[in-house]
Amino acid sequence: MSNSRSSVFDGLLRENTVLSSLLVISPVIMCGDTLRNAEALVYAFSVITFFSVMIASFVPKKLPYAVKIIIYAVISSLIYIPVRIVTQEYFPGIVARIGIYFPLLAVNSLIVVQTETKFFRMKKLKMTFSLIFSILGFDAVMLLTAVIRELLAYGTINSKVVDMHTLISGLGMPFGGFIFLGLMCGLYRKIRSMAGYEDNKVRSEENVSGN
Amino acid sequence: MFLVTELIALLAANLILTQALGTSTLFIAAGSRKNLVGTAVVITIFTTAGSLAAYIIQRELPEKYSYLTLLFYTLSVGILYVILLSALYFISRKGFEKTRKYIHLSAYNCAVMGTLFTITEKAQNDASFMTLKSFFLAGLSSGAGFIIAALILTAAYRKLNSAKVPASFRGFPAMLVYLGIISMAVYALR
Amino acid sequence: MLKEKRNERQIWLDMIITLLTLEVMAYFYYGLRAAFLAGVCAAVSAAAEFICLRLMHKDFTADDLTCTSDALIIALMLPAVMNYRIAAIACVFAVTAAKNIFGGRNNMIFSPAAAAYVFMMTSWRAQLLQFTEPHVKTGLFENAGNLVSSASHSFKVTGKLNYTDIELLMGNFSGPVGAVSILLLLVAAAILIFRRDISAGAFIGCMGGILFLAYFVPMASTPWLSVKYTLVTNMNLFASIYIVSDKRIAPKRNYYAFFYGLLIGAVSYILVLTTVKENPIVMVSVLFTPAALAFKNLEKRIELAKAEQEENEKAAEQEANKEAEEESQDYELNAETDEEALLPEVSEEEAAEPDSFLYELLSETEENEEPAYGIDTAEIIPEAEEFLYISEDETEEILTGNTEETAGQESENTEHSETDEAESDEENALNKEADEDE
Repeated sequence: MSNSRSSVFDGLLRENTVLSSLLVISPVIMCGDTLRNAEALVYAFSVITFFSVMIASFVPKKLPYAVKIIIYAVISSLIYIPVRIVTQEYFPGIVARIGIYFPLLAVNSLIVVQTETKFFRMKKLKMTFSLIFSILGFDAVMLLTAVIRELLAYGTINSKVVDMHTLISGLGMPFGGFIFLGLMCGLYRKIRSMAGYEDNKVRSEENVSGN
Repeated sequence: MFLVTELIALLAANLILTQALGTSTLFIAAGSRKNLVGTAVVITIFTTAGSLAAYIIQRELPEKYSYLTLLFYTLSVGILYVILLSALYFISRKGFEKTRKYIHLSAYNCAVMGTLFTITEKAQNDASFMTLKSFFLAGLSSGAGFIIAALILTAAYRKLNSAKVPASFRGFPAMLVYLGIISMAVYALR
Repeated sequence: MLKEKRNERQIWLDMIITLLTLEVMAYFYYGLRAAFLAGVCAAVSAAAEFICLRLMHKDFTADDLTCTSDALIIALMLPAVMNYRIAAIACVFAVTAAKNIFGGRNNMIFSPAAAAYVFMMTSWRAQLLQFTEPHVKTGLFENAGNLVSSASHSFKVTGKLNYTDIELLMGNFSGPVGAVSILLLLVAAAILIFRRDISAGAFIGCMGGILFLAYFVPMASTPWLSVKYTLVTNMNLFASIYIVSDKRIAPKRNYYAFFYGLLIGAVSYILVLTTVKENPIVMVSVLFTPAALAFKNLEKRIELAKAEQEENEKAAEQEANKEAEEESQDYELNAETDEEALLPEVSEEEAAEPDSFLYELLSETEENEEPAYGIDTAEIIPEAEEFLYISEDETEEILTGNTEETAGQESENTEHSETDEAESDEENALNKEADEDE
């Protein structure tokens, strides 16, 4: 039970899509500089990835690997079309704001890599939850990165000015994204290893008491 | 002098250092010699051939159907994917066994698709860029950019994975910070 | 080991003495503000170093005070009226992001001062390149007035400098507080080279490259004027001594260090000539860090090859002696010698695959797929290895679920390796190996 629970939530915390598996990092580095960009990207990523993986799960598993990957990419490219049309209709400006990273979401690693190596090895229900938490894992990192970078680089949060004495404009640049994401990954790993250490400690204490 | 300016221009246009496209693949490529050469060659083939396909798609696809661009790019990369695998299979079985993993890794990659979209964006902003030669050269230089970034990372690979690096930062986080500082220097020189 | 430590302390002490001398000169020209700025940088760096070491469960020792020399280098590259907060952020960046994330002073990749300068250049360019004139003394917490651009900028725009030679030598012109005292810098360079505190090869290469190009592709009306002005502007001399020739970064052998310095010098001069960049030498030195690492890798390879050759020669000699003994025992003379037997065995795979020089130069990993140190691809991306080896034929096999078990084991191992206890064993083993290498 605990095993299945941990594997479903993996994408969010234990095996975070961005911080642990380093998947879909270019949008985080490039578009994660303001909350508005991040919101747009989170919306597009979540919708495209969820529907693409769900539909792709009906593709026969006996097909050759390359053919399956091509089919998954085509499915997500097809889903991208209505998503883009809806986005342009209701949220004008978003497409322009995130530029080439919008279409690139359609071939993100969660769709073309993790489908075969992770999601499609699970049962449908488990896969759905695992996928949702993987998407949430990306969304959480994206939003957190964007809030901190926007605050430190531009002195705003969601375009509202915050009183900051010294701004580090470099953090809003791609290299700032690289460095910031690297620091976040290190911090995440540290927390994860500390949590693991705590687990071990608890387990060893249980053993002692059991004896 | 020309070489130095070209080198800076190549670094400044580097998809990985300036747009973070294909970073995950780069980490795999920099890990060993075989991965570096294999991935770099295959990605260069994909970006170059893909750029030619992108040129044709851009020329033939009417403006009102621009939302289909991604679909056509995906299909053209898919076709390239199959052609490459089949060609390798029929040319040399041994070569196929050795190389197919790089083709799998590179086909639907941010570096490849990002190159196609970057070139397209450039052509949309500058009409003079809309030539087969420009697309071809841009695709080729993207591949070269990937190789340069891979070499930059390879040079520090051992140090970044050394036991002296704190466990939390060893490997991937240290690589990101390393690339970030190099990218920062490129940005400062742009 | 003790000798190495003594060397490290000696280098730091010599560096600090020369940097403090420059600081005294800065105090003379810009007053207490320049000295206070250096103090802020040193204090913030030491504090950041202390915190980083505590986070890594290490003790702060006297050797860790080397961070103060980097702090002084940063302070001397700034205008005297630089905002303290910006200087402090730059120092924190230098100590954490450019140094301790990569393992601190035992595993240096970038020059912390150079990385911090580039960081400031990208975020606070305007503040970094606006200076007060010499002898204009600003109060400790006063806002600076009458800011001017540097002499380097004027030289770039007009092609000449309106200062006497004495003024140029003494640093009586606008620019970063420590990078303008040319006479002192020349003396410092001589002392540091003489005491082997900096890489002579890198220094000569870098200055040689800059001055050679300045003479043959002049920026001023005459070649000699171009050489003179190039020497004093764009922090060329300062960066050549304290950044490019930093022994922690530059290749060990002077031969390779010379080419490393030459590359940086030539590229930075060309950038000054062709663009409007100020002080590009610092940025170029950060950009060429991979070149330094590649040269170092090459040095290690050569050392290994030499050691191997010596071993082979010894083995061959021993074998020859043995054979001679056997021959003398049997009283039989055999004139044929099998030279091939003396050579090291080469596997078929090695013989089939020619070495690419560029890769040899850059990579330290051997023929095997796994790197000699640290994690492999599977650890970076748990799915990567599986993905790399996935194929049409293997799809069925993968989908059966057997691999999940393996993946589970792998991820468990990865996690385990990250806990401090397991790590210490691994680190000890790797450190031993690294020490042996060194």
